[in-house]
Amino acid sequence: QKVRELQELEHLQLDFWLSPRGLGDPVDIRVPFPSLQPLKAHLEANGVPYSIMIEDVQALVDLEQMQMLRRRRFMPFSTSTFDYTSYHTLDEIYAFMDLLVAENPNLVSKLEIGHTTENRPIYVLKFSKGGTNRPAIWIDTGIHSREWVTQASGVWFAKKIVQEQNEGLANILDQMDIFLEIVTNPDGFVFTHTSNRMWRKTRSKHSGALCVGVDPNRNWDAGFGGSGASSNPCSETYRGPYANSEPEVQAIVDFVKSHGNIKAFISIHSYSQLLLYPYGYTTTAVPDKEELHQVAKEAVAALSSLYGTNYKYGSIITTIYQASGGTIDWTYNQGIKYSFTFELRDTGRYGFLLPASQIVPTAQETWKALEVIMAHTRGHLY
Amino acid sequence: MPGFRAALPAALLLLLLSSFPPAAAEQPPWPWTPGAMHALNPSDRHASRAAWTALHYSNYHEASPSTLRALRQVLKATVKIIPGLGVKYYLQFTTEGYINGENAGSCLATVLYLKKSPPEVYIKCAHTQDKKQIQEEDNKFYHYLHHQTKPIIANNIPDSHGNIDRAHLPLWGLAIAGSSYIMLEKSTENLGYFMAQVKAVKQRIRKDSAVEFEFIVLLHETPTQKIELCHMHLIWTLSPPLRVKYICTSDNHWLEDGSGQDYGSAAGLFHEKEGNF
Repeated sequence: QKVRELQELEHLQLDFWLSPRGLGDPVDIRVPFPSLQPLKAHLEANGVPYSIMIEDVQALVDLEQMQMLRRRRFMPFSTSTFDYTSYHTLDEIYAFMDLLVAENPNLVSKLEIGHTTENRPIYVLKFSKGGTNRPAIWIDTGIHSREWVTQASGVWFAKKIVQEQNEGLANILDQMDIFLEIVTNPDGFVFTHTSNRMWRKTRSKHSGALCVGVDPNRNWDAGFGGSGASSNPCSETYRGPYANSEPEVQAIVDFVKSHGNIKAFISIHSYSQLLLYPYGYTTTAVPDKEELHQVAKEAVAALSSLYGTNYKYGSIITTIYQASGGTIDWTYNQGIKYSFTFELRDTGRYGFLLPASQIVPTAQETWKALEVIMAHTRGHLY
Repeated sequence: MPGFRAALPAALLLLLLSSFPPAAAEQPPWPWTPGAMHALNPSDRHASRAAWTALHYSNYHEASPSTLRALRQVLKATVKIIPGLGVKYYLQFTTEGYINGENAGSCLATVLYLKKSPPEVYIKCAHTQDKKQIQEEDNKFYHYLHHQTKPIIANNIPDSHGNIDRAHLPLWGLAIAGSSYIMLEKSTENLGYFMAQVKAVKQRIRKDSAVEFEFIVLLHETPTQKIELCHMHLIWTLSPPLRVKYICTSDNHWLEDGSGQDYGSAAGLFHEKEGNF
């Protein structure tokens, strides 16, 4: 009776979560702060026992909101609701990969090709319409962990391949497989999220070294030990104690060698807006220079056609600088003729901290260039 | 000069080969005749590096966060070796606003890289922006800073995701203007710089007409890929010169620990090195 009277006191703005029903039944009320004192006074004056179940409802609501947001980002329900316009963590990208496989079991599978220094699994997505060991195209992103637009673009490429499987990519996927390694340096990537956004190298600790990490793009067995890499473990271009010392590199080497039928190899970096072909370790031109130069020219033209983004192209050593132990020098020497490296947006203004709003435009224009390279490979299988 | 032009690509390759490894190398024997002007491919890395050196000079000397320029494209580049002195680049290039990305007109510049001192730059740019508007923007920003009762403090501009708070844009601009002084002093034919991030900024409230800031900025050095941490002290009075004092990690032969960068220990370690005044 007394509690029912409370319902009439509209100025208190009491929110009944459990309304008064009958004698002995509990009544739950959410009380706005200003009404706390008057309500307590009223209940006590009338001998109505009460207890506080939740001290601060707002705090709980806030916490739940935060958890919901985190959960929504962490576990999107499908690759259609995944946010391609944001940068993601390693866990989010690995979850995305599992979703993509689950949604497209006839096209996409996930391969584990090794483990990092910190024992994280290294995954490669395989896109295949069948056959056995078909000639393949390899794309990797994120070998240098701070180049965030590359992993983000890799995620976008994965989705794009699925979307284009019966359209623009039909011709290619009828004859070839595509392998995509989105996070090529998982340890470094996690480190850029947790500790140092500008971390470039792996996170290996070699004995006697004062500093952590090896430059994975100086660790390949092509001109290893020559000019264009550092022997100082504290350098950002430290080559490592020996070629393939890094498990991240060894994993790809093992994969490429055992697959034996990769025909194009594209390794993606940022920033500088360049499309490069071998060599980096020597000024000697590759035998296929004319063809690679022409393909690069067409790929860059296609890229620029979308948003007018300006790219330069050429061999690594003439266009960027001498670099030894580089990825595509090794892959080219393995016989993978169509070996290219990209340096994506921008040219220095934001550098590694490219605004997330530029992820999709960057991925879109880069895709145009990739289409050219893939089509040329398909039309010139060797 | 058909004969010369045919020989250029080989000579260019030789030049590039002999310029590496960077920074530590002695001045290599140039394949070109000293004293004569040699045309460069506008796409040449050296040309864009020299253009950026000129822009660092301009961005510092204008002392105006609203006038900062970024390189768009090199149109023409020639180089001349001056025996016993250094190498001089003659450049024509287009630019865009550093902050807004809009066309900011073309510039003519000469950049003389010396052996033991910072480069000497002459630069002249076409004015495409309304001078009055720029003055107004700088004035607005200056007065906003000057009227602060509590010192502005901010971190990570841009943040990890490349975002910059609208309110922090002018701070970013001021940092670029100041860092341009540092980058100008450090630039060589073979070493280029970009300001990668403002790690921290703290205002020091003053009673006079100047605004004063302490910055920690990260500079990205190419082709070494090094991230240089610099502690920069800056005083701005709206008109040039911008007064900059700085010290960077490399200046102290600072050995990084395993994690690469330890920003917390940066403060308090450095003595002041007079950058200007």
